[in-house]
Amino acid sequence: MSHSDTIPLHASSQSDIDEIENLINASVQSGPATVLPARPPSPPRIPVSSSPFIPSNLPPLPSTHQKPSFVPSVPSAPPPPPVNSHSSIGASGFGSPPNTLTEPVWDTVKRDLSRIVSNLKLVVFPNPYREDPGKALRDWDLWGPFFFIVFLGLTLSWSASVKKSEVFAVAFALLAAGAVILTLNVLLLGGHIIFFQSLSLLGYCLFPLDIGAVICMLKDNVIIKVAVVCVTLAWSSWAAYPFMSSAVNPRRKALALYPVFLMYVSVGFLIIAID
Amino acid sequence: MQTFPPNNNGEGSSRGYQTLGSPPEGFEQQPPNNWKGVFSVSSYTQYFNVDTDIVINRMMSSFYPIGGDFFSKIDANPDLYGLIWISTTLVFVLASLGNCATYLIQKRADSSASWSFDVGYVNVAACAIYGYAIVVPLAFYFLLQYLGTNASLVRFWCMWGYSLFIFILSSFLLVIPVEVLRWIIILAAGIDSACFVAVNLKSCVEGNDLTIVVFAAFFLQLALAIFIKAWFFP
Repeated sequence: MSHSDTIPLHASSQSDIDEIENLINASVQSGPATVLPARPPSPPRIPVSSSPFIPSNLPPLPSTHQKPSFVPSVPSAPPPPPVNSHSSIGASGFGSPPNTLTEPVWDTVKRDLSRIVSNLKLVVFPNPYREDPGKALRDWDLWGPFFFIVFLGLTLSWSASVKKSEVFAVAFALLAAGAVILTLNVLLLGGHIIFFQSLSLLGYCLFPLDIGAVICMLKDNVIIKVAVVCVTLAWSSWAAYPFMSSAVNPRRKALALYPVFLMYVSVGFLIIAID
Repeated sequence: MQTFPPNNNGEGSSRGYQTLGSPPEGFEQQPPNNWKGVFSVSSYTQYFNVDTDIVINRMMSSFYPIGGDFFSKIDANPDLYGLIWISTTLVFVLASLGNCATYLIQKRADSSASWSFDVGYVNVAACAIYGYAIVVPLAFYFLLQYLGTNASLVRFWCMWGYSLFIFILSSFLLVIPVEVLRWIIILAAGIDSACFVAVNLKSCVEGNDLTIVVFAAFFLQLALAIFIKAWFFP
């Protein structure tokens, strides 16, 4: 997309790019090593720049710089690269890892943001007629939950008049430790849930409470606060209910759901009580 | 089953009598102990093997101070779910309702008082309740082991955990800003809970003369009740 107007790379970085590319080529030829359980191999996505990977802005180096036109034609057995949404080697299909390394940062950020938005839509606005109900579970990520928890902490801390940093600490610790403990609770009750998927889902279900916190920050009337918090609390619990209840034995459903409810009620109380 | 083959004094048998297998000596508490290490979740699932109705049954039975059959009820299947979530609920309830109650009392005394949320209540509640629920059974376990009784730590934690349930309900009543009523409520709840602990502890150490230990448990529980009233609902 923007290869035509970029600044030429530093001479030393080209060799780095070569090295990484060779490693990737070598791993293609050696076959798939492990496949992560929660990620079925997704079809290779169209790389951001429609042309195959050619360092078009570089002077051709005299070294062993063979450049077969790198066509993403290996959909049969690509192991998806390890999920690391923080680096540029994102979770795309196999065709474009070299591209994601040199793509502009804005593209990476946009891709992660779009994943957050799509996960949010899947988790918080459950649509019973959706064609693939398990998609949010497979494409989990932790950026979204992180943003929502920090945003809630900041909003509460902003609304507080005294002990602001203590309020932030309590909110952050409550939510982060709470998500971990809730997942452990399900595991201990004999349920089947994958740890990070559950963290991700519980984080996304905080989104309604974020909205409630912002509204309560702007309006100071107690009645309105109570009403708004009750509505958003019910919405959060309703969003979290299907995931939690399907993970455990039906006779223990209440035991798994009660702590979720307790956590959201305590966060809701914090939102109302902070003045 | 032990067999006693006749001690043939022919060949100078040096083996004495033989027993088939070892006597069953490890059968005190949990026959199959699937302990897979401290950091494996599956080794703790044996302590959470309860259903909703069992938990509710145990919580209801913590209301009856006379009875003394709690240990026999949990003997086969003690659970730590009650301890963890009842104490967590109690921390939250004390912090939140304590703030409400303090505000209401201040409003009664001086009608221009404004609501202020003291986050320090959360810290004090967490330290007090978690500290009490974990340390006191541990201390009694070690004390009773030292004095010779055979005690089980998990069952002690389970019992003390369920004994805190009544404080959750009484905290809702303690919001009422009438001082006399508050004292009556907390003393009733405290005595009920302390009797529950004492009677069950006595049934656990029956036979030995350890009344002083039972009284100590009674007074500790009562002291917790009074602390709750004095700090969170002044």
